[in-house]
Amino acid sequence: MPHKAVVTGVGVISATGQGKDAFAKALLDGKTAFGVMQRPGRQGESSYLGAEIGEIVFSSGIPRQTLRAASLSAQAALVVLQEAWIDARLSDVDPRRIGLIVGGSNVQQRELTQVHETYRDSLEFLRPTYALSFMDSDVCGFCSAHFGIRGLAYTVGGASASGQLAIVQAAQAVLTNQVDVCIALGALMDLSHWECRGLRALGAMGSDRYANEPELACRPFDRDHDGFIFGESCGAVVIESLESSQRRGLEPYAALRGWGITMDGNRNPDPSLEGETQAIQNALDASAWTPAQIDYVNPHGTGSIAGDETELKALHACGLSGAWLNATKSLIGHGLSAAGTVEVIATLLQMQAGRLHPTGNLENPIDPTLNWVKDKSIDHPIETALTLSMGFGGINTALCWQRNN
Amino acid sequence: MTKTEILNLIAHHTREILPGLDSHQFVAADRLVDLGANSVDRAEIAMLVQESLALSVSRVELFGPRNIGELADLFLEKLDAA
Repeated sequence: MPHKAVVTGVGVISATGQGKDAFAKALLDGKTAFGVMQRPGRQGESSYLGAEIGEIVFSSGIPRQTLRAASLSAQAALVVLQEAWIDARLSDVDPRRIGLIVGGSNVQQRELTQVHETYRDSLEFLRPTYALSFMDSDVCGFCSAHFGIRGLAYTVGGASASGQLAIVQAAQAVLTNQVDVCIALGALMDLSHWECRGLRALGAMGSDRYANEPELACRPFDRDHDGFIFGESCGAVVIESLESSQRRGLEPYAALRGWGITMDGNRNPDPSLEGETQAIQNALDASAWTPAQIDYVNPHGTGSIAGDETELKALHACGLSGAWLNATKSLIGHGLSAAGTVEVIATLLQMQAGRLHPTGNLENPIDPTLNWVKDKSIDHPIETALTLSMGFGGINTALCWQRNN
Repeated sequence: MTKTEILNLIAHHTREILPGLDSHQFVAADRLVDLGANSVDRAEIAMLVQESLALSVSRVELFGPRNIGELADLFLEKLDAA
């Protein structure tokens, strides 16, 4: 049985950049792209703020027929998988030994809402493909058809922890020798105005306090935070057994040393110090690491008042007060299903650059005692990192990463 | 509406579903399956044509036609009966 899972490729898209190089540069430059969201079906009588991906650039090898039948979530999946596929040289791997785990549930809501609204009064003309596309597993079918994946492919869901769950599931598929390579995809969550309204009503999505200054609205861990700001993103992480990567002569980005997944026993969105602390502790124990060994923490950090406060208490409780800290969501927004995967990619790219990105709008940290990267990126070598995600329904995930030496 | 107009409509929607057929010159004897349309593509094309014609035809009846000329005949017959 393989004993170690490593990352041999990544692919990413966000509102601030497509492709790992553009994405890393945008992060390190502290670039943001927040505004009133414009995508059809995302606003009712409203003006929700967020960060939307601009025009997606497709490689010339992708048939127009493939693109025509692809939802926005599928298009984003296609470009990040293509990048990760090339990055990890997956054309050299037996397709029967490649798997795909798609993280996210109900990710194509905006397109479904548009179908419902278009055909409400003419149901007899509903497009037959609706029967395929309403299921998230369509993204698995779509991607496995395009890339010729013949191992396994299925979805996993854990609200905003889905992206990290996909990585854990991919690692388990590799470590149990089901496949040699398994791609974890954090699927693009395509919110419609219905979900925006619900998230706002619940108090999870940020208010319209910064409606006239959208660039100030997203402020995780700052005293003036009042909820998350949505941001479209999608990421793919290629998880491979160390043995397979060595056979193929690849230099991994990092190894996944260990992880923790805990439940709070609470359906609601409110966080749990006990659950978060236990997830972090489990991940450290699985890695045989002491807290002092962690150089950098990529937190969940959405901008939620209770969530931000609880997360920082959990870091203190776990002895992680000395690690460096920033908040990727402050720059790209909250990708919900995609967030966990995309933030792992942000972590790996910062490791590679030896540089930590700034935290947007962190003017007055709610806890100034921690080692924040504030308005400017800093040079800092990262050998070890902890990445965190939490989701509605009381799920907490923590992953420990070790840079390849 | 004439058969030629319906054939043009079928060609229009077939190009919409299969963009690779942009420059194909459609004739009545063309079979969608031979043009690369899989079963889902064929169902989509048939539905788009029905929507354009504001005409609803049962799936069972759509299995009959063997080429797009016969499909146009079926739609023409249904339109005349409507």
